[in-house]
Amino acid sequence: MDRGQNTGGLMSSAGLVRYFDAEDSNAILINPKTVIATGVMLGILVQLLTFVS
Amino acid sequence: MGWKEAAEPVLTRMPAVQRPQKHVPFKRKLAWTAGILVLYFFLTNIQLLGIDAAASEDLFGEFRAILAGEHGSLLQVGIGPIVTGSIVMQLLGGANLLGLDTDDPRDQVLYQGLQKLLVIVMTALTALPMVFAGGFLPVEPALQLGGFTFDQTQIQALMFLQIFAGGVLILYMDEVVSKWGIGSGIGLFIIAGVSQMLVAGFVSPSEEGFFYSWYLILTGQIEVGSIVGGDGLYTLLLGQGDIIALLTTVLIFAIVVYAESVRVEIPLSHARVKGARGRFPVKLIYASVLPMILVRALQANIQFMGQILNRQTGDASTIALFGNELPWLGVYDAQGQPVSGFFYYFAPIYSPDDWMWWTGEVTQEAWMVMVRVSVDLTFMIIGGAIFAIFWVETTNMGPKATAQQIQNSGMQIPGFRQNVSVVEKVMERYIPQVTVIGGALVGLLAVWANMLGTIGAVTGTGLLLAVSITYKLYEEIAEEQMMEMHPMMRQMFGKE
Repeated sequence: MDRGQNTGGLMSSAGLVRYFDAEDSNAILINPKTVIATGVMLGILVQLLTFVS
Repeated sequence: MGWKEAAEPVLTRMPAVQRPQKHVPFKRKLAWTAGILVLYFFLTNIQLLGIDAAASEDLFGEFRAILAGEHGSLLQVGIGPIVTGSIVMQLLGGANLLGLDTDDPRDQVLYQGLQKLLVIVMTALTALPMVFAGGFLPVEPALQLGGFTFDQTQIQALMFLQIFAGGVLILYMDEVVSKWGIGSGIGLFIIAGVSQMLVAGFVSPSEEGFFYSWYLILTGQIEVGSIVGGDGLYTLLLGQGDIIALLTTVLIFAIVVYAESVRVEIPLSHARVKGARGRFPVKLIYASVLPMILVRALQANIQFMGQILNRQTGDASTIALFGNELPWLGVYDAQGQPVSGFFYYFAPIYSPDDWMWWTGEVTQEAWMVMVRVSVDLTFMIIGGAIFAIFWVETTNMGPKATAQQIQNSGMQIPGFRQNVSVVEKVMERYIPQVTVIGGALVGLLAVWANMLGTIGAVTGTGLLLAVSITYKLYEEIAEEQMMEMHPMMRQMFGKE
């Protein structure tokens, strides 16, 4: 196996936004399901309001 | 130690998506990624409440291909604010003005917080002029919701809130993919947008669709004209025939996939385990093409400024500030495109019609077109190289960081002492040079592809990004699958 490749987080740089492992205990943590649910709800809400208006 | 302490209470409290507590199985990762992708497409199809869609005009224009999102939808701003925020972070970080040490956990938290705060501020700054300045998003004359009638300003405020919510949502969707899925959300949204445009460019049942145009040409419904006279040749190659665009698109695919495999390989051997050998690849497109987004976004922001200034002057074609007409700054045509002045020269080339002055499609003088092409080239080549350097530094791909990684994995370069600074010296011989050449090359490739045109007008940068992100995604999926099959591998890849 080619060990040199991909060692130690080289691949972690595909995004423009960087996320580290460190987290502050004060931070508000969001469940990923909440993000999806919020997105779906926002979409449905706006669509519904468009229908009634 | 000024700003860190002052900003700490805010930055450490920025809401973040939870990290998975333990290893997420590959199938689950795929499910999260697919879920976010479906949500993304769903949201791009929800029209903003209160928009007069027929009269609106996309401020992003040709930049839409790389900034994702959809005009007039909840995802109006796309990844624009994230990219702009990232530019600021890159410049501050690359010039080391922040004084943050990304190896220190406390500074990492600050970095993350600052990054998020910047994106949220940028979302507001992008959405504000879109809604309130110059009618890029014209509002409906009247809006009634349950007996309550909104006036124009209230509708605008309502639209701003929706766009802002959409922009913040994109940021968190990216975070979900980055932490729970495969690759990054931004990459995913770019591929989604570009592929959509590319497929539409091929199969759309209108003259924009490649296949449909050829059907019309072959059945004689499009007048091709004489091939010898030049008119017919123009139609086939650059007009509806789009042969050159097809060739460019295919060629870019091939070049990127080939260039991904061009690399300088530095041999490694394990210090303790005899016979364990490896190679460290320094890829030609080492910094990948992601820094290219930053250059394009910089150009996009310059053009937004022009558009906003132009809208402020009303019907006049010349930009006016404080009552003075400033033709050197920009003159716009009826379609809102710059035709001369600063904003014309700084507008990137999108299609052959922008620069082939001999075809009669261009209203400018040949020398003006030449200046514009050279400005675009300079911007992309030098900008590409500079941002590639910053990118390598801020994402820990620089000589120092990679030397440390090699050292930590217990490897060494045969024939050299096992010492971080020795490995760093060797890395310094390759990484900076390869980065600059790669960045400049990608810039050149993007301009060249735009000049010749691409199928579906996805732009050279869009195509380069889509192909190389997909390639990376493929590598990542292959790595994931291998780790699924051999849990031991996880340790070797440095993950817990």
